This record gives sequence, C-alpha cells and structure tokens, in this order.
Amino acid sequence: MRYRVGGIALLGVAAWLLPYQLDSYAIHVVNVMLLYALLAIGLGLAMGIAGQINLAQVAFFGVGAYVTAILTTKSGWGFWAAAVVAILAAAAIGLLVGTPALRMQSHYLGIVTLGLALAFTNWVTNSHLAGGAEGITGIPRPQLPGVDLSSEYLFYYVELIVFAVALAFGIFVVRTPLGRRMRAMRDDALAAGAVGVEVPMLRMTAFLFAGVYGGIAGVLYAGLIRYVAPETFSIANMFLLLAMVIIGGRQSLVGCVIGAISLALVRELLVDYPTYAQVAYGSVVVLTVVFAPTGLAGLPRRVTGWLRRRGWLPGGAATAGALRPFQPYGQAPAPQAGPMLEVTGVSKHFRGLTALQDITLTVPAGQIRGIVGPNGSGKTTLFNVVSGLYKPSAGRVAIAGTDLTAARPYRLAQAGIARTFQNLRLFAALTVRENVLVALDRSRIRSIWRYAVWQVGVWRHDRELRRRADQILERFGLTDFADSLPGALPYGIQRRVEVARAMAATPRLLLLDEPAAGLNGEEVRQLAEIVRSIRGAGVTVVVIEHNMGLVMSLCDQVTVLSNGRIIADGEPARVAVDPHVIEAYLGDSTVIDVPAAEEATQATEVKL
Amino acid sequence: MQVTIQTFIGGLSLGAIYALVAMGFSLVYRTMGLVNFAHGNVVMIGAYFASTFYLSAKLPFAAAMVIALVVTGLIGIVIERVLRPLENKDFDLMLIGTIGFGIVLEALAIIIWGATGRAVPSPVPGAPLDVFGIRIRTYDLVVLAIAAAATAVLVLFLQRTKRGAAMQAVAMDHQAATAVGIHVGRSNSIAFMIGAGLAALAGGLVGPLLYVSPAMGGTLGIKGFAAAILGGFGSIPGAIIGGLCIGVLDGFTAGHFQGYSELVTFLVFTVIIMVRPTGIFGERTVNRA
Repeated sequence: MRYRVGGIALLGVAAWLLPYQLDSYAIHVVNVMLLYALLAIGLGLAMGIAGQINLAQVAFFGVGAYVTAILTTKSGWGFWAAAVVAILAAAAIGLLVGTPALRMQSHYLGIVTLGLALAFTNWVTNSHLAGGAEGITGIPRPQLPGVDLSSEYLFYYVELIVFAVALAFGIFVVRTPLGRRMRAMRDDALAAGAVGVEVPMLRMTAFLFAGVYGGIAGVLYAGLIRYVAPETFSIANMFLLLAMVIIGGRQSLVGCVIGAISLALVRELLVDYPTYAQVAYGSVVVLTVVFAPTGLAGLPRRVTGWLRRRGWLPGGAATAGALRPFQPYGQAPAPQAGPMLEVTGVSKHFRGLTALQDITLTVPAGQIRGIVGPNGSGKTTLFNVVSGLYKPSAGRVAIAGTDLTAARPYRLAQAGIARTFQNLRLFAALTVRENVLVALDRSRIRSIWRYAVWQVGVWRHDRELRRRADQILERFGLTDFADSLPGALPYGIQRRVEVARAMAATPRLLLLDEPAAGLNGEEVRQLAEIVRSIRGAGVTVVVIEHNMGLVMSLCDQVTVLSNGRIIADGEPARVAVDPHVIEAYLGDSTVIDVPAAEEATQATEVKL
Repeated sequence: MQVTIQTFIGGLSLGAIYALVAMGFSLVYRTMGLVNFAHGNVVMIGAYFASTFYLSAKLPFAAAMVIALVVTGLIGIVIERVLRPLENKDFDLMLIGTIGFGIVLEALAIIIWGATGRAVPSPVPGAPLDVFGIRIRTYDLVVLAIAAAATAVLVLFLQRTKRGAAMQAVAMDHQAATAVGIHVGRSNSIAFMIGAGLAALAGGLVGPLLYVSPAMGGTLGIKGFAAAILGGFGSIPGAIIGGLCIGVLDGFTAGHFQGYSELVTFLVFTVIIMVRPTGIFGERTVNRA
C-alpha cells in the first residue's frame, strides 16, 4: 500500500515535470495522447467493466468537439459555457445510442452502435451547420484567468488535471458498489438480475459514462486543436481506440490508459508510415485476443503464474483453506401466517411446446416445499416464471399477496425473491466476497447522484457492505475463500457460495434449483442443515431436487410435476406412494421401494 | 411511378450484392458461432482481385471472377486458422479479433493497390433495356442472375451433399458432430472459405456498380451485416430478403436524402432492429450454452 502511494506520487511528479523536457512538437503529441487516454477510459468503462460493446465512442468524442465548435463560432458563446453544453449533449447522445442495449447485446449491439457512429460522420460531412467536409475553423481559445491557454505547455496542465480526476473517478466507480454491479452484469446478466441488479438502468449508465468521457475529450480537443473536421471521428479512429483498449486490457482502466499511451506513441514513431502502423496494430490486436486476452494489464499476473508453475517463484499450488462448518441462523419469530407464494393458473408455451399447463400452487409462509418430477417436466421453467426470467403465457404469480406477474427479475429480487441456478451462475471474474457483495448491495440506481457529489457517502456505504459480507462469509464457513475466484474452487464449495449469495440478498422466499446436484453424502447432509436453518430464520424455501432422500427428509410438502402439469401434491410420504407419481417416473404402476423419511436423513442418493 | 420502379430495380441489384455479403456472414455464423467483422474487408479484397485480373491481366470478366473467388477463399482459410483457438469461447473477443483482421486487410490493400480507388467499366456494355418505358441497366440483370444462381448452388450444397450435411451437423452440435467422426476444424475451415468466396463474388460484382477503394469494405460490410440481422441472423432466406430490403431502402434514401442517405438507412435499421431484434425470420441460434 505504501509502495503504491509512493508510486502514484512519483508518477504525479514526473507528469508535472514532463513539459520541461519536451519541445513544442513533443508536447503537442503528449496532449493528443492524453485525449486518447480519456477516450479509452470511457470505452473501457462501457466495454470492459459493463460488457457493453460500444463502437460509437468516437461519435461521442465528435459530439463534444462539434457542439463546442458550433456554439463558439456560430452562436458566439464563451468557450466554457459551450463546453458544459457540449458535455451534456455528448451524455445525451450516449444515452440515445445506448437505448438499443436494452433490447440486444454483443454482436447486435456492436453493429447498431457502429451504424450510428457512421450515421454521425455522415451527418457532419454533409451538414452545412457542421461545416461539411472542411469542418469548422477558428474556434476561440479557451480563457482561464491568469493562464494563457494558447500555450500548449499550459494546456497540458489543464488536460493533466482533468485526466487525473477522470481516471481517479473511473477507478473509484469500478471499486465501489456501482462498478461491482456493472462487472456482475458483464459476467452474467441473468444472475445479476436475479440478485437485484437493475440491469437495464446499469446498461444505460455505462453508455452515460462513455458519453461523458467522450464529451470531455471532445471539448478539450476543440480547445487544443481549435479546428474540427469529420476525418478525426472516422471509423478508422474508432478501431484505433478499440485496439488501444484491447491491447491495454479492457477490464482494467489503468490498462486502457497504458494501451492508449503506448499505441499513440507507436503511431507517432511510425507517423511517416501510417499504413504499416495500421498493419502492425491490427496484427497486435489479433495476437492479443488469441494469446493474451487480458491485454498488457493482465501480463504481470500471467507471468507470475507461469513462473510459479515452473517453480521459480514461491506460492505455487493454490493456498487452499478449509471449508468451515455452517453457523446456523438464530431462530426468528415465526413469520405471520398466510401464503408467501401464490401461483394461479400459470401456463408457458414455447412456440408449439407447452412447458407448463395451468399450474396452481400455494406455498404458505415458513414452509419448505419440494418440487419433483422427471427431467423435462417443467420444474425449472416454473422457477424461471416465478423469478421473472420468463413471462408466463397465462396466469398470475403473487408474492406475499402482491401481484408480481411478469415483473422484471430485479424487481422480484427487490420484492424478496432469491434463487440459485441448476448449472451454477456465479460471477466468474468476481471474487467470492464480491459475489456476496453484489447481492448484499440494495442501493438503487437513483442513488447514483452520490457518485457525482458525495463520494464519501458511497465509500462509507461500501465499507458497511464489506463488514456485512464478511459476516455472511463467516456464517457459511467461506472466509478462507473470500478472495478466490469461484471457478478455482471445488464444486461443492461453489454450490455453497451460490446459496450464500442468494441469502445475502435477505430474501423472504428462496428458490433452490437442484442444490444437491453433484454433492457428496456429507455435503448433502450439511445442505439439509443449512436449509433448515434458513427456514428457521423465517425464510420460505422452495426446492427442486432429484435426490429423493433429501426431499423426503427436508420438505414439509411435495408437489410433483409431469409434462408441465401437477400430478400430485401433499406430504412427502403420501406423494411417494401415489400411483400417478410412480407411473410418471417409471412408465407403469409397479410399486417401488421408496425410502421412508427416517432413513432418508442418511442421504441415500436415490436419483430418480 | 417510372422513377420509383427504376429506383426499385437499381436497389434490387445492389440488394442482391448485400444479400451475398449477408449470406457469407450467416453461413459462418451458423456453422461456428463467429461473427466475422472482417467480412466487409474480405469483400473489398475480392473486389480488388477481380478488378485486377479483369483490368490489368486483361482476363475475361468471368475468368477474373473465378480466380478472385479462389484466392479470396484461401485468405478466408488463413483467417479461420488463426482465430481457431477462440472458437466456442469468448464471443466478444472473437468479434474484436476479426475487427483486428479487418484493420490489417484494409492496410494491406492500401499498400498493394494504393489509397485511391479505381473505377471498373461494366463488362456488359450496351444501352439499357427499355421495358414499358422503364430503363433497366443490363448489368443489374446480370448481377441478379448470378446472385440467384450462387444462392441456389449454396442451398443445394448444404442440403444435398455429404459435406454440406456435415456442416449443418457441426452447426447444431459440434461435440456430437465430433463424436460421429466429423472433423469440426475442417468443416469450419470450409465454411469460412465459402463465406470468403461469397464475399469475393459480391466484391467482384459490385466493382462496376460502385467505385473500388480500400474504404469500401466498411460500408459494404456493415450494410451486409445489417441485412443479415434484419432477415434473421444465420438464416439463408433471411439473408436474401434482408439484403434486398436494405438495397431498396438504400436506393430510395439515396434518391430522397442525397448525402444523408447513410444516416437515414442506419436510423431506420436501428429502429427496425429495436422493434424486432431477432429479424424477420428469427435468429437461427447456434445453441452452445
């Protein structure tokens, strides 16, 4: 930590003294470089942190520059007033370009943003207002009392300060709740929605950031060059910017800056051979994505990892801790009686296929309800309808008396539903602690204003969240793995992390989708203990499970689905001998030997 | 009315080109789940090869096209081989990798053929046909005929040959395909080669309609891609319908909005895709989750 502070101070001093070493051409190059770095931070936030493919960054840059140019030259505004409007305009365009992200992702979003960027260049090349292909000249030099900004040396300091603030703010966002939710959304948008992350709003926020950073860079560009023309904002420059972010490492803002600075330097060295430079950086992009997808920023970790594997560095094998026993929740007063989950006449069709047919079931508060049925009988589809991933074709879903049919997943999460997934959906690039933190974080998008004016509040909130996350990790016995990535952990521990994450959202209703799949006997026993304790804490639990031993011992009531219909419903022991159930599983009514509830606690793994 | 019909037919011939580009996109996407953002630049390379063999080597237009198809197909194989480690992995990284290839191809074209473009004379000279007072360029008909023939051959290949059936199998489940003895790498390689061949065909045909320049790849690629998405990504009939739609839309916006045609085309495209993200025929999703 002390080294880090020292390093940053040293970099700051070096940056402050840099102009004394440079001639007037070199300082110009550095000034342009800083603008690229600003743009790269904006692109990195949208693409690397929030996972939104944004190929319109150069258009946001252009909006900032052009609005400044038009307002100062055509309307006679002062530079700084124009600058404020320009940044607002770029932010607005950012939101506008981002709206398609609400409906589509990945390559679709790529093509739409690229198309809109092309539309922008097309507009400025043709518009009379924007000066056509010749662009706009004679932008007045920005005035700052006591500082002559026509000197590029002094302009450098303005840019440096803006850049430092922008980078610090970016890193602040990444490390605090907002950025964490964005990274969770990038890793798995579905799971993020299920723990209460407002996915649509966060996508817009990502584009808002990209727009603001682009706008600021555009304003500075107009002040520095004092001339704008369409070719600066061409697709070729967009791809150059993309190359900077990819080569530097898109998931690290510092990496984006390093990428921007190094690529701008290389471009400057090859300024007489622009096409060869283009071949070079295009090839490096290809090589980077194939061989070093984390870019320059990821290199140190890759190198140390490689050294460790060869035994040249200590550490080596994962410094694994131990999974500690679960510490039960305290007994909460029994929740007030009444239904927690009411599903009324729900049907779900996929084109011709009927996955659910007129399902009606009521789960009273404080119950553990089992849902069983053969594969393909619609169990997970039912969960997906209840947790808002699917819209039912017919019917209604109510939580604690409130109708929440077809509400967005994050709305349902806020209303008190949490769930786990059959195939584990942990946020892969977030540590175990961060996985829990995302679910703990109940702050809504409307509190985003605090990032602009009250950062201390954000920071305090984050510290409080971390304290609570550590409590949850301790309760689930996961403290030793707090800083590991989930993918590096054994399967059984990952399952437990997912339950911990779901419980971090403090739900009223917990949906567990095959929580015992892949667990060994001892782990199943621990799971049963955990689920009972969760119910004891006043949470209603619905569990899909194939392990009949677990279902028999754990559930108060069992509902059996087959071909999308409920075929039986009642106490476990009665349901297990129901001829319809046996027929659904085995195809005829031969009575099978079903383990009784008592011996089931020994976790006989009867996978039906 | 006459003008409208003439614009419509002009739009159709350009749309046939977009359809060929879109089919290349779709074919590669549905067999290997890769969105090839370099596809537009491959079209540009194909256009340069065809025009070089036609103008500089003085070959007949048809022969020049065939050679351009083969050479460009080889480039496709190279791209697939380099990006093979990324297949079935991070979708966004693959997308960026192909953008990298696009950047390289464009720069190489500038180095080899120069930054300024060239005009290609129409290979079928002669006055436009006059049908009920509507003037139709003969070359437009040639383009439409060749595009239709190419589509027919492609569909026959996919449906009637063993190799084509193998490619469909890889598209549906590459692991199962491996299990029944299909060489997935080779199948992907062939898909990429055919995609690049379609790009070269589009490039060769578009030469006499537009101006051949290193920058043409960007616009053609994006419009071809837009066409593929509009029709429903991965669907061959979708690619054709989408291509013709974008071509006609392009023709009319060029007539009405002159310089702003691109702006209007992309705005309309954005709105359509917002309303119906899966396109007209719905995406043929390569389900590899």
